[in-house]
Amino acid sequence: MNKILTSLNTFALILLFLSFVFSVFSITTLKVDETQSIKVNFYELIEIAEQPKRLSGTKPKESIQEADLNKVEENSEVKKSLDFEKYKLNKPDIKRELSKIKLSKEREVILKISAIIQDKISSVWIKPNSLSKVLAAKVLINLAPSGEVINFEMVEPSNDKVFDESVLIAINKISFFEEVLGLDRKLFESNFRNFKLVFKSSGEIE
Amino acid sequence: MEPIGIFILATICQFYSCAQNVSDSVERMQYASVAGEEYLEGEKIDTNLDDKVYFDFDKSTLDADDKNLLEQYLPAIRKAKIVRLEGHCDERGTREYNLALGERRALEVRDFLIIKGVSGKKIRVVSFGEERPIKNASNEKAWAENRRVEISLY
Amino acid sequence: MKRSLIILIFLSSNIFSLLEIEIIKGSDNLSKVAFVPFGIEENVNENYGEQISTLIEKNMLLFGEFENLDKAEMLSFPDSEEDFYYRDWKIMGVDYSVIGKINSVNALGNLNISYSLFNINRRIKILEGEIVGRENNIEGIAKIISNRIYEKITGLKGIFDTKLAYIVNSDAETYQMCISDIDGKNEQILFTSAAPIMSPDWSPDRKKIAYVSFENGLAEIFIQDLASGERESIQALGMTNSAPVWSPDGKSLALVVSFSGNPDIFSYSINNKRLVRLTNHYGIDTEPSWSPDSKKIIFTSDRSGSPQLYEINTQSKRKKRLTRDGNYNARGRYFPDGKSIFFVHGNDGNFQIATKKLSSRFIETLTSTSLDESPTISPNGNIIIYATKDGSKGYLGGITLDGKSRFSLPVKNGSVREPAWSPLFN
Repeated sequence: MNKILTSLNTFALILLFLSFVFSVFSITTLKVDETQSIKVNFYELIEIAEQPKRLSGTKPKESIQEADLNKVEENSEVKKSLDFEKYKLNKPDIKRELSKIKLSKEREVILKISAIIQDKISSVWIKPNSLSKVLAAKVLINLAPSGEVINFEMVEPSNDKVFDESVLIAINKISFFEEVLGLDRKLFESNFRNFKLVFKSSGEIE
Repeated sequence: MEPIGIFILATICQFYSCAQNVSDSVERMQYASVAGEEYLEGEKIDTNLDDKVYFDFDKSTLDADDKNLLEQYLPAIRKAKIVRLEGHCDERGTREYNLALGERRALEVRDFLIIKGVSGKKIRVVSFGEERPIKNASNEKAWAENRRVEISLY
Repeated sequence: MKRSLIILIFLSSNIFSLLEIEIIKGSDNLSKVAFVPFGIEENVNENYGEQISTLIEKNMLLFGEFENLDKAEMLSFPDSEEDFYYRDWKIMGVDYSVIGKINSVNALGNLNISYSLFNINRRIKILEGEIVGRENNIEGIAKIISNRIYEKITGLKGIFDTKLAYIVNSDAETYQMCISDIDGKNEQILFTSAAPIMSPDWSPDRKKIAYVSFENGLAEIFIQDLASGERESIQALGMTNSAPVWSPDGKSLALVVSFSGNPDIFSYSINNKRLVRLTNHYGIDTEPSWSPDSKKIIFTSDRSGSPQLYEINTQSKRKKRLTRDGNYNARGRYFPDGKSIFFVHGNDGNFQIATKKLSSRFIETLTSTSLDESPTISPNGNIIIYATKDGSKGYLGGITLDGKSRFSLPVKNGSVREPAWSPLFN
């Protein structure tokens, strides 16, 4: 029984480590699928919890094993003790960790709303056939806290008339981004008061 | 082993020299014969042999059965004035490529006949690519029948 | 077409830079256009108003590039800017409205027509024009107006006055070389033969067509003048002459000559009848086609063991292999911008139309039927028409390059194949 539990624990640790590695890779570029972006943040949360362990090397593992040896009877109890161990270890960093958790939660919200905005624009943008030209146009959007588009400006046109026009038509079709409604004011001001949409003619990998 | 090797070498040499000598005259003959093609149709020689050899997709190589059939033709070919080889393909792939492939197939038969001692001067080669299928259908059986070289003697 | 675009969001941690959201995927919807029946002045035949807007509408919808607003759903029928209210169209989800008026018809039967195009989302008039044309050529007038509207909306050349050449095989003994307007009207039979006809190709001035005919028992290239109907055989030496394609300047043909049964690519100058060899390989080299700048010729060769596409620089004669994926890539043609190619791609026994950017190694398959061949592209690079089969009968299919529209051309009496899209009318 003990052996099984120990191996289970080791397995869990390996999983945690793998998820940490995965999260590192997935930070820079995120697929926009809503569920996926949430997933990424889930990994981030784990990452934060992981960190002290990494700092203290194999120690936590030993302590977990000890805990297992001492309290074999109930799984829930084991879990409790694990959490307890972690918090104990984290004590000096707890404030920093909490702020990090908050940050990643903000990040999650930003990602979610960005994905919704992206879908919304994609659903109205009728992309012209630009043949093989690689074009990009940047539009600055200015929102009111209500989500209303107060102003927009093409700050970096592609200089392809038809492409730029298609972009302007798409933005003209949308007058509200209701999604930002109810957003934490600070979060809104720092992210969605002004933001840019980058329209690209092709998604070349090269 | 050695005699066999020499024999093969000799055959290859023979084939090459024949092919070299023949190619130019074949072209001229081809053009000279263009107008007379229909008139020739009337004197077709009946051999009671299967008049077609078949090929694999995008291939122009002759297998043992094909060679066997062609060998049976040899006596009749020696008597004939003209041997007409018509290459065909199945409908798959592109038309112009198939035109070239049909020609390739007919030439493969011509080269075999030349190795067997038939004078290249009698041989007319033409390709219809995928333009003249025997079976106008889109299935493996039809395709297999359409990938062929038709032999006719005059 | 598989459109699994990876969409990325870049979040910046830097406080001073703004959040940037990247948009790569566009909508699957089409632009919606309202074609309002044209107004008429008193002395004009009252049918003309609706007739011309209907003709324009038919043209614009020909290849499925746009959606229309049904006349029954229109809230108003303005024929001038003063009567035009954007909100009437905005609430119907219209992106563009076309209005117009037939102002007068004179004693010679000349119609004076004015027309305007409005961008509803941007609330601006983007096109205004006037045209004078003959009463009995109302279709021609509609084509000109359609071209101008199309160009304004898409930024691409209008193609409604282009033509299509094709081969019709109505029975085993009847082959016809035909041309028609791109909408299928005004079909003309250029040549009929009991022997196969192949590979039609338009001269850049649209006055001649080169093709292969077997009328003399083997593949032979002819050039036919469309106005006079005169035919001229190119007596290039060799057993087989095939796959003629005009150079962009119209002075030469790239073609295939098979000396001693070895097909190679040649350039044939039409005026002095000189033949210049471009490839020399024991494998099959065929299906040449010029790049729009005339500097390169793409061709099919089986020198690697299977048919693949190559291009040769006509000056340096340097060759470059263009395709590597799959064991059948043939009959390549360049896009009008010269940066991509389209061709027939064989995959698992299916032969489909595919495209590839020259700068990329990825092949993108456009069609989903299994015996697709002879693709030809619209001069504006937006539509491909190709030949395919339904049972044993050949018909022509088409697809827009954004993959949003697939269509098939009206069925003919007989098997239709080898479409060739004419150049633009200069």
